[in-house]
Amino acid sequence: MPRQVSRGGEALTQRVWDLPVRLVHWLLAALIAFSWWSVHHHHTDWHIWSGCAILTLLVFRILWGFVGSSTARFSSFVRGPRAVAAYWRGKWSGIGHNPLGALSVLALLAAVAVQVGLGLVSEDEDGIFMGPLAGLVSTDTSDKARDLHELWFNVILALVALHLLAIGYYRLRGRKLTLPMITGRAPLPSGTEAMRPGKWWIALICLGFAIGFTRWIIAGAPPFSP
Amino acid sequence: MRSTLVAAACACALLAACNWKAGQANSAQGNISQDNRPPATAKASAVTNAPASNEMVMLAVPVSKDQALRIMHVRHEGMEAMGDATKALHRALSGTPDLATIRSNAAKVAQLSEQASTWFPAGTGPDVGKTRAKPAIWQNSEDFATRLRALQTAARALETTSKSNDVAAMNARFADLGGTCKACHDKYRAEEKH
Repeated sequence: MPRQVSRGGEALTQRVWDLPVRLVHWLLAALIAFSWWSVHHHHTDWHIWSGCAILTLLVFRILWGFVGSSTARFSSFVRGPRAVAAYWRGKWSGIGHNPLGALSVLALLAAVAVQVGLGLVSEDEDGIFMGPLAGLVSTDTSDKARDLHELWFNVILALVALHLLAIGYYRLRGRKLTLPMITGRAPLPSGTEAMRPGKWWIALICLGFAIGFTRWIIAGAPPFSP
Repeated sequence: MRSTLVAAACACALLAACNWKAGQANSAQGNISQDNRPPATAKASAVTNAPASNEMVMLAVPVSKDQALRIMHVRHEGMEAMGDATKALHRALSGTPDLATIRSNAAKVAQLSEQASTWFPAGTGPDVGKTRAKPAIWQNSEDFATRLRALQTAARALETTSKSNDVAAMNARFADLGGTCKACHDKYRAEEKH
């Protein structure tokens, strides 16, 4: 298993996660919890808002994954199987997501995206609430999408459980991962290449696009809406 | 400082993204459901012990197990038919309103809601057969009956409005109707088990 990143030099506290990455992370965690709670307490309307907010986060995070800070970019952390294997053998040093953790990030983002997609075309069993795109499909499809939406939540739960277990495992081995996701800083060996931050105005453009996209979906995705 | 600004902007923007009214849950554009399932009407009237009046039979003499299972079946089919009609209504009211579909389904819901008076005699709870009807229905029979009457009133109001050409009023009555479904289901229907 991976050994600690601790070669040479004193550990310096450096920036690892920029603000957008941390905000997306914690908002996503909170909104997933809220989505679960609201739908089990008869607040289907809040559940739909929550899903739309998650859609905004997803779109933003994907864009930020191309134009954000160095540790936010997919190109910096999504690696092939050889890098994952090397990491497993302890041959990896760097900041941000390690090659194995990267797979977890991708799986979680993809699973949440599938869940949002299913929710968008779902309707509740009484026909009182329709997802913003439910009108684009038939009643039967909407009902099936709702069933899948319920089942798929288990996939998300499993990935979240794996994520938490991994954090617990690293903690036992002396690496604290939670605090850096709050403060954005972590002690890193000197000589480690620091995070290159993104531009704040690019973050705002990404956010504007994510909100615009979400509002378009909420409007029923004209001109495709019948 | 800069990051604080960005944080604040993100927070505002996210709030803005969520800033759509509950009513917009109803505004998804819809094509009309092509659901041709037969309504449960015929089956409902086939229940031999169903009283002719609209009075609730909550406190009637407990039915036999056979009768109970038959009524529960009719209830299940009836509720499903009402759900289908509501879904068709929702789609027909969204986007370009489809008056013919709205009228036929509003009538169907009104009719089924009247029949619902006969669907909940004592002895048709989860102890007798598979049902999501909670025992609380028979512990609060007056409250339940009040909620059922609210459904019937809302369904009649929608049916009446559907004969006009006032789509805004139909949407308002449909929202009222949904509220009466939800008021009862939230309290008296158990969660679906998979």
